[in-house]
Amino acid sequence: MAHADPDTLADLVLEPGAVRESVHAHVTSCPECGAALDALRSARRATGAEPLVPVPDGLRARVLAEALGQGVAPQAADVAPVPLRRRHAVPLWLATAAAVIGLVAGLGLGRWTAADPVAAPEPDPEPTGAVVASAALTALDSDAPRGDVEAFDAADDVVQVSVRARELGGEPGFHEVWLINVDGKRMVALGILARGDDGTFEVPRRLIDEGYRILDISVEPDDGDPTHSGVSLARGELA
Amino acid sequence: MTVVRLPARSGPRYGGAVVGAAALEEAHEESMVALASRFRDGDEAALGEVFDRWSSLIHNFAVRALGDPHDAEDVTQQVFVAAWRSRATVTPGPSTFPAWLVGIARHKVADARAARARDARKVRAVAAVTTPDEHVAADVALAERLVVRQLVDQMDEPRRTVLLLAFWQDKPHSDIAATTGLPLGTVKSHLRRGLAQLHRVLEEVRHGSR
Repeated sequence: MAHADPDTLADLVLEPGAVRESVHAHVTSCPECGAALDALRSARRATGAEPLVPVPDGLRARVLAEALGQGVAPQAADVAPVPLRRRHAVPLWLATAAAVIGLVAGLGLGRWTAADPVAAPEPDPEPTGAVVASAALTALDSDAPRGDVEAFDAADDVVQVSVRARELGGEPGFHEVWLINVDGKRMVALGILARGDDGTFEVPRRLIDEGYRILDISVEPDDGDPTHSGVSLARGELA
Repeated sequence: MTVVRLPARSGPRYGGAVVGAAALEEAHEESMVALASRFRDGDEAALGEVFDRWSSLIHNFAVRALGDPHDAEDVTQQVFVAAWRSRATVTPGPSTFPAWLVGIARHKVADARAARARDARKVRAVAAVTTPDEHVAADVALAERLVVRQLVDQMDEPRRTVLLLAFWQDKPHSDIAATTGLPLGTVKSHLRRGLAQLHRVLEEVRHGSR
């Protein structure tokens, strides 16, 4: 018979059961078709790698500076960190706008509705620091309220993040708290909500300044895998 | 370290027929050839574009091959600087960059390992490494897997999703059609063409990395 065409060779890899027996017989006896089929099979075997992690910040500028022998201005694509509200800080509208712009530029976060920052209530006896950022938490598949989160000044370079979640549901597993960067590419785990739906976590201020502002609560199966399960119950963006 | 795909609010839905699947590939390949030509001719903006597209491929390869983020960062920088300095040797083609950059990266990784072996402070790191022959085989397999992942991640939708569902999650074709809202025949044609794309790039990597 004639040589197998490229689509037929691909089908031998993708769904061999759907390919006629005469074709199977031909490729086993024809060195040319056999080699082409082996190559496609090896391409199929090369799948499965984890997603690539982004390169460290600053590497791009260093490469361009060394290769082109010049100082390089930061690219617009680099995430501009939004400083936290201090007593005389960036106006809130500007911080929110910048964070939203960062989000639009980010990938994979889908439709995002920035939560309106809630007015900070009188904090409980502790923590005693000033509220530097807050957010309402909402579900992801609807805008149903899921509690709130506040960030307080704890020390010079530390912010205390206080999570008060509600209606997280009864899915099996435990609830883990994360900060997702507004670049949509990076995230860090803060820890587990061990005492019901409330928890406080200390975070280096630098992280929040770098754009880790989206607080996410996930339900994690007890499988020993330290990565995010992909099942988010609540989110809110600190502003 | 692994990175999770950040959970999105809802998955994408696709409908309708594939419009010009072949045209999409051709347009992509033409833009890659044009980028390689600009790079060869010393267009400084092309260096930034090449870095943006392939730096994570090279950096991930170096991290996995060397096991040290700091050394990997140095190697990544060396690879792109070396590529720029030898840009006159570029032969523009649709898969020029992954093959060429991985080839440079394999040499730089080997240099970094040799430097480690000479570096008494890293005796323990050397004690833990395997023999050079094992390195070569492992490096080739690692590079191929990362090249494939990077290529699929940068494919246009819906092909990217179709390939991820089929090759990373081993979903049956009928499930993929249901998930994406694409006709079964369209799913199959994306898989056939996508597999051929992976094969073409891997061929370049195998020939270019020797």
